[in-house]
Amino acid sequence: MPKPIAQALSRRTATTPEASSIPYWAWLLPVMLVIGAFYIYPIIDALRLAFTDATLTGGAESYTVRSLQRVLSNPALPTILSNTAIFTAASVVGQQLLGLSVALLVVRGERHHLPGMLVLRTIVLAAWVVPGIANGVIWSMLFSESPFGAINGVLRLLELPTVAWLSNPANAMLSAIIANVWQGTAFSMIVLYAALKSVDPSLYEAAAVDGAPAWERFWFITLPQLKAAILVNSILITIQTLNTFDAILALTGGGPGRATEVLSLFAYNTVFYQFDLAGGSALSILLLLISLVLAALYMLFMPKRDM
Amino acid sequence: MRMNRLFRTATALSFTGAVALPLLPALAQDDLVTRDRVGLADAENSLTFRLTAYDLYSADPATAEGFVELFTTFINEHPGWRIDTQLQTGNLNEEQARILEQAQAGRGPDCAMIDSAQLATFKNAGVLAPMTDYFTQAEIDDLFPYVREAVTDDNGDIVALWWFTDLRVLYRNAGVVPDAPQTWEETQQAALDTVDEGYEGLLFNGGRTEGTAFDWLAFFWAQGGELVDETGAPIFYEGENREKFLAALQFYDDLVESGAAPQRVATITTYDDITAAAAAGTTAMFIGGNWQYAQLQTTLPVDQAEQWQVSELPGPTADQRATGTGGWAIAALSDDPAKVEMCAEIAKLYAGPGNAFQRLLPTSAALYEEYDEFAGPEFDVFAAALENGQARPGVASYPEISNQIQILLGEVLSQSKEPEQALDDAAAALEVGSDS
Repeated sequence: MPKPIAQALSRRTATTPEASSIPYWAWLLPVMLVIGAFYIYPIIDALRLAFTDATLTGGAESYTVRSLQRVLSNPALPTILSNTAIFTAASVVGQQLLGLSVALLVVRGERHHLPGMLVLRTIVLAAWVVPGIANGVIWSMLFSESPFGAINGVLRLLELPTVAWLSNPANAMLSAIIANVWQGTAFSMIVLYAALKSVDPSLYEAAAVDGAPAWERFWFITLPQLKAAILVNSILITIQTLNTFDAILALTGGGPGRATEVLSLFAYNTVFYQFDLAGGSALSILLLLISLVLAALYMLFMPKRDM
Repeated sequence: MRMNRLFRTATALSFTGAVALPLLPALAQDDLVTRDRVGLADAENSLTFRLTAYDLYSADPATAEGFVELFTTFINEHPGWRIDTQLQTGNLNEEQARILEQAQAGRGPDCAMIDSAQLATFKNAGVLAPMTDYFTQAEIDDLFPYVREAVTDDNGDIVALWWFTDLRVLYRNAGVVPDAPQTWEETQQAALDTVDEGYEGLLFNGGRTEGTAFDWLAFFWAQGGELVDETGAPIFYEGENREKFLAALQFYDDLVESGAAPQRVATITTYDDITAAAAAGTTAMFIGGNWQYAQLQTTLPVDQAEQWQVSELPGPTADQRATGTGGWAIAALSDDPAKVEMCAEIAKLYAGPGNAFQRLLPTSAALYEEYDEFAGPEFDVFAAALENGQARPGVASYPEISNQIQILLGEVLSQSKEPEQALDDAAAALEVGSDS
């Protein structure tokens, strides 16, 4: 490196005496304050409320573990947790598979200079910016079982039997998953598209020279190269799906019965139907714990160099 | 030449702008009703009023225009006041909870619409300001007894004006179902006959919504069933009440199992969905609210509209009838007497001219005589049904009882649980909830 440039860089990167006299934690103070005020404090307050008998109807609060006991002994909780597990697992798998498929399609299309790839990405992304409530309303019109319901109307035109999309408990869960996957696929597509673009093309060239068929290139090159992105994406969309309740609220309201009531919707109902702030807080903490445990599990599989 | 014309045009536009711009705020002020206020923007006094989207800000232009006129007259009679309007979203449970929480923190609106089902919760929380001074004794005495009881607190003060009530009735297309079914059995048979003619059968709310529980409760109440005891504790799953509850559940279960009602009722969560089906001619019978009558009359061509008739909800026998009576109240949440008085005046606006305009059901007998709008034949049916009217119990536990009834009805209508199992599960959930 030429000497003048090296000197200039040295001047730019050297810490001034004033800067070096400031303790390191002072630099972190602003971000710690923001995180503390807007992230840590609400969690601590929710934790505190979980150990009270606070309600939305007011009155003096006192500290107790009965709210927690009441929530954990609720006979509906196993059903709620089971719904949450099915909804989350199916949504994460569905979003990953569809997101990867669309990303592979776009990358392959770009490699062959096909027109319309940008339009395809934009169309998929459009679903992502739709608010959850609107997503639920859109799909409730599509899945409507009335004589003028959209999907069943098409099935009738094709002289196929109609489907009880929302009134059958099993189908209602499937419908909620489809609506969530439709919305979340775009996010997975973007993450995996970015990862695919960073795969070294020489790996594919070498494989082609060796005569490896497409599925082997996908299995032995693409997937291992995407492992870190897939795991990071899994963490993000798992947490996002666990917190999803607005789309379900608009689509099924959690019904029929409790067939599509997930943990986040149950917490919402606990606060806004029962006015039980303490119970809702306890459920929120439970949701947080589940998210942390799942995130930790995913991290176990993360390649060490990517951590 | 061209430059001259441009210069003249620019000068004229500048002059017009210079004159018009300062006038814009004044022009805006002259608009007495906007999306967030009623009255002049610079009025001396103001109060906040949190209202629902069913009247002044209704999606129906005719309703909104009518209320703009009513409010314009009202604010002209109250010079110096500005009403800052705050719209409640369609998620009523959340909205009501928010008002309650804000009122307790001293940040609530000065005046608000309260769902009659939540009135007891607000009363118990002690956030409603007494309004007794702003009503005459005659006005108070003229309220329907169940309404007067619901709006009176422990001190004997009037703390809200329940400005309209509503009730549930059986709608039928008289061209398809000439005679009104009187019993559950007749209703099922009549609905099956409509299915044979290509209709959907009987429609009603069956999804996770308050309407589902409230519409259905009429069939429980018709047998003399009681939801709660005098302390407010749920008792509907015990003793004789249990038998009555199961009988009413069985009625709904049989409707779906026999095909007299489509299974999709388990997904219906708004009365609008049902009105849409009636307007589209896909159903010939439904359980709905009295307000839907006016909606059908204004939506359908005259010859089709006159086919729709109303009758009392059927009972297990023709002599056992009931209907749920709901509606909305207006209450003050302010300590300022001037604002409380203004809130009472707004409540009277809704109770009198507002009700007459929307052809809702006033809660005061005198108002039925005062306005010609309440003279239609349907009001005879509504008046007769009101004699069997039953309000929701004024207890704080009602929202959760309703929630459990919505869940169990969904389970029964979707055929995922037998009535007994669904009731037992709801009872267990309520008992855990009441352990606190």
